[in-house]
Amino acid sequence: MSIITRPWGRLTLAGKVVVPLVALLVLLTVLLLVGFASGALPLLLGLAGQAVGDNIDVVRFAGAATVLLLFTVPTAFVIILMEMKLIAFVNLRLGPNRQGPWGILSSTLHGFKVLAKEDFTPTGVDVPVFTLAPVVTYLGAVMTIMVIPFAPGLFGLDMNIALLYFFAVAGLGVIGLMMAGWSSFNKYSLLGGLRAAAGIISYEIPLILAVVGVVMLAGTMSLNQIVASQAGSFLDWYAFQQPLGLIIFFIAAAAETGRTPFDLNEADSEIVAGFATEYSGMRFGFFFFAEYVNLFIMSALTTTLFLGGWNAPLDAQPLLDLFNVTVSTALDPGALGMGLLFLVALGPPLLILLFTLPIWMLKSDWSFLKSLVVGFLLFNLLVMMLVGTWAYMTFPFVAGLFWFLAKTFTLVALFVIMRGTLPRVRMDQLMGFAWKWLISAALLNLLVTAAAIVVLRDPSMPWN
Amino acid sequence: MTTEQTIRSLDDPDLFVETPGTIYDAIPPLPPRTEREAEFYAMRDGEMLINLGPQHPSTHGVLRVVLKIDGERVVDLDPVLGYLHRGVEKICENGDWHHAISNCDPLEYIAAMFSEAMPVMVAEKLLDLEVPRRAEYIRVLAWELNRISSHALFVGWLALDLGGLTPVLYGFIERDEIVEMLAALTGQRLLFNYLRIGGVNGDLNHDFLSRLGDWMGNALKRIEDQQKLLNSNEIFVARTRGLGVVDRDMARRTLLSGPVLRATGIPYDVRRAHPYSVYPELEFTIPTREEGDSYARYLLHLDEIKQSIHIIDQVLHRMPDGPVMAKVPRLMRIPPGRAYVSIESPRGQYSAYGMSDGSDQPFRLRIHDPSFFNLQAVGLLMPGNLVADTMAIMASVDPIMGGIDK
Repeated sequence: MSIITRPWGRLTLAGKVVVPLVALLVLLTVLLLVGFASGALPLLLGLAGQAVGDNIDVVRFAGAATVLLLFTVPTAFVIILMEMKLIAFVNLRLGPNRQGPWGILSSTLHGFKVLAKEDFTPTGVDVPVFTLAPVVTYLGAVMTIMVIPFAPGLFGLDMNIALLYFFAVAGLGVIGLMMAGWSSFNKYSLLGGLRAAAGIISYEIPLILAVVGVVMLAGTMSLNQIVASQAGSFLDWYAFQQPLGLIIFFIAAAAETGRTPFDLNEADSEIVAGFATEYSGMRFGFFFFAEYVNLFIMSALTTTLFLGGWNAPLDAQPLLDLFNVTVSTALDPGALGMGLLFLVALGPPLLILLFTLPIWMLKSDWSFLKSLVVGFLLFNLLVMMLVGTWAYMTFPFVAGLFWFLAKTFTLVALFVIMRGTLPRVRMDQLMGFAWKWLISAALLNLLVTAAAIVVLRDPSMPWN
Repeated sequence: MTTEQTIRSLDDPDLFVETPGTIYDAIPPLPPRTEREAEFYAMRDGEMLINLGPQHPSTHGVLRVVLKIDGERVVDLDPVLGYLHRGVEKICENGDWHHAISNCDPLEYIAAMFSEAMPVMVAEKLLDLEVPRRAEYIRVLAWELNRISSHALFVGWLALDLGGLTPVLYGFIERDEIVEMLAALTGQRLLFNYLRIGGVNGDLNHDFLSRLGDWMGNALKRIEDQQKLLNSNEIFVARTRGLGVVDRDMARRTLLSGPVLRATGIPYDVRRAHPYSVYPELEFTIPTREEGDSYARYLLHLDEIKQSIHIIDQVLHRMPDGPVMAKVPRLMRIPPGRAYVSIESPRGQYSAYGMSDGSDQPFRLRIHDPSFFNLQAVGLLMPGNLVADTMAIMASVDPIMGGIDK
């Protein structure tokens, strides 16, 4: 008991951690006992539950916002790693391969590195604006994920004006870039911020005009309902009814997220790093993450609007019926009886050995232990695949999430390969392309879509 | 000690910055020294000065250019040279002629085989020395390989300054193979120090020849494959076509040479105009383009790479046997006199005017670097273009600061 009688100043670091924790635990135990004995705690819990139940929307919003904030960081890590590796393959390089197997930890370590760097504020900057700019940009990006339906039942908010909300909040990001450019006390930053403002605002117009066609076809701005109206095979996706809209949306999305060939606001060979020139540490990290989160949400929105969202490209059921295959995913372990015991006890070791022995026999320079580890990993891979397949067939949201992420990351990869391939356009070419070509094409698309809807859905027409 | 003082802002004459006088004070602006400076630093409404370099991601070394911009359009520019000045010409006078070879190496550090030829050829001309034919062929081989490695980088850099990430790495693949090859021949990757007065440092070796054979096997095909990324790329063509047009008149006025000159349609190449070494015996054409813009310069570099491969082919077929060094004493006293030599470097006419007073040291070695004269064209081409195009113009003229600042 010497640790309790010792004065605070003479405690070791571990003691300073442990002593308050023990005291806290004792206090909590006493409070719980007293609360249950007196009946006050159940009453309070009931009141709290009722308050949550009454304001379920607020709670859902807060919960979803927290989850999304936590979700964006690993997403950005994955996309950064993907970009480093894919561009390396385009460039005939190896890419990162030192941190973890195949370099999969490198983007995470970059994140930690950014956290550990000095957070420097140069002389002459407008400090409050300089500090707030990354936050505005990052939150503008993150808050748009709220309305994107990842899978049936897996979304933050289902609004009837989800698209409007999306573009309104996504437009906030550019304010952050302008704030950064203006407050940095640097001419390169100023040029970058103004380029961002001019470019992004110009490309908002074709971006939104391209979406109007989809809204007219679906008759709603709720993203959930837009996805639901694309159910069926891949031929029901709006990509086939709005091909021009998809192309315009994709190009405008590349400009909106500031990706090559439209990355003028941070063109490193011209204006050093654009609006982010004076930023360091995690403030720069926020800009960096916001760019990749933007990339993800633009791909996600393209998927949602044009590529059927979480719908599978083909329904497997008719195919299974054709060959008279019946898949039952209902697990009933009890039906196996004593067999279950043998399966659990003997299955894994035998399977691990099954994977291990061929490796051990074929790889003459590997020790048995090394083969055993690889066999164990292969066994885990098999189990994960089996469990994944079972989850895919049992829960619709797993299947939906799988298809949604597969489509989204395919689009992300397309953006990344574009970055490895194309040079950058000039500012006047960028603006000219938006105002002369994209907006005209989007208006034409709108006209054709409207006319087609009127003609095809007219009840007096012979085909109706 | 703190004293209040008022510093006038260069950008905005009405803005006075109150600062306490400490050692961290901004240096007060000097009065303009020339009329040109007064004209340049007199700012009109809406104009802004922006400092490009000496530490900027794409100024190709330590060139500093003060741009006067109105919005994104360049109104005027003031190049500031001298950040890489080392006094090479003076250093050359303090060592003997052999030291001058390695001192001249870093002048054109992307293609060092050309700048190091200057003292060698001047001394040979003063000595009236006949270089063995095998040595001459080896020199041509090394020069042409180095020209290809330099041009491959040019293509990559042009694309990199336009925002393309990949071509520069493809360019470096070619360059790395050639540089490894030359390292096998000379022992160095960048600054070769290979040429000697009266020949070359060593004969061709097996390592060099096997690397050369591997590379030559599909060099032409690979270079043509890599061009596909840029040649018909809509954005690249839109960025470079019609940009930075040099007309023949401007080319003559500013003493341009090399690809920048030949892109205007003037077929001036020192290898043909004033033949040296064994170039008269070799068969090659001088590619030219009529347009004079950045795209023409880009295409011209590709054509020159193909011509260089053609020359290497012939050199390998005709390589004679024999010694690679003439019989010269270790310590040479160069007879007094003056000599002028010029060769065709990847960037234009590289020439030197040397004087000897009869000792073993150069009395004077004046180097004429083509980058310096080509850079003058940049100053005439940039005004009126956008900030983004300044980089494309500079990259398409391809200056090397080592030779400009000397």
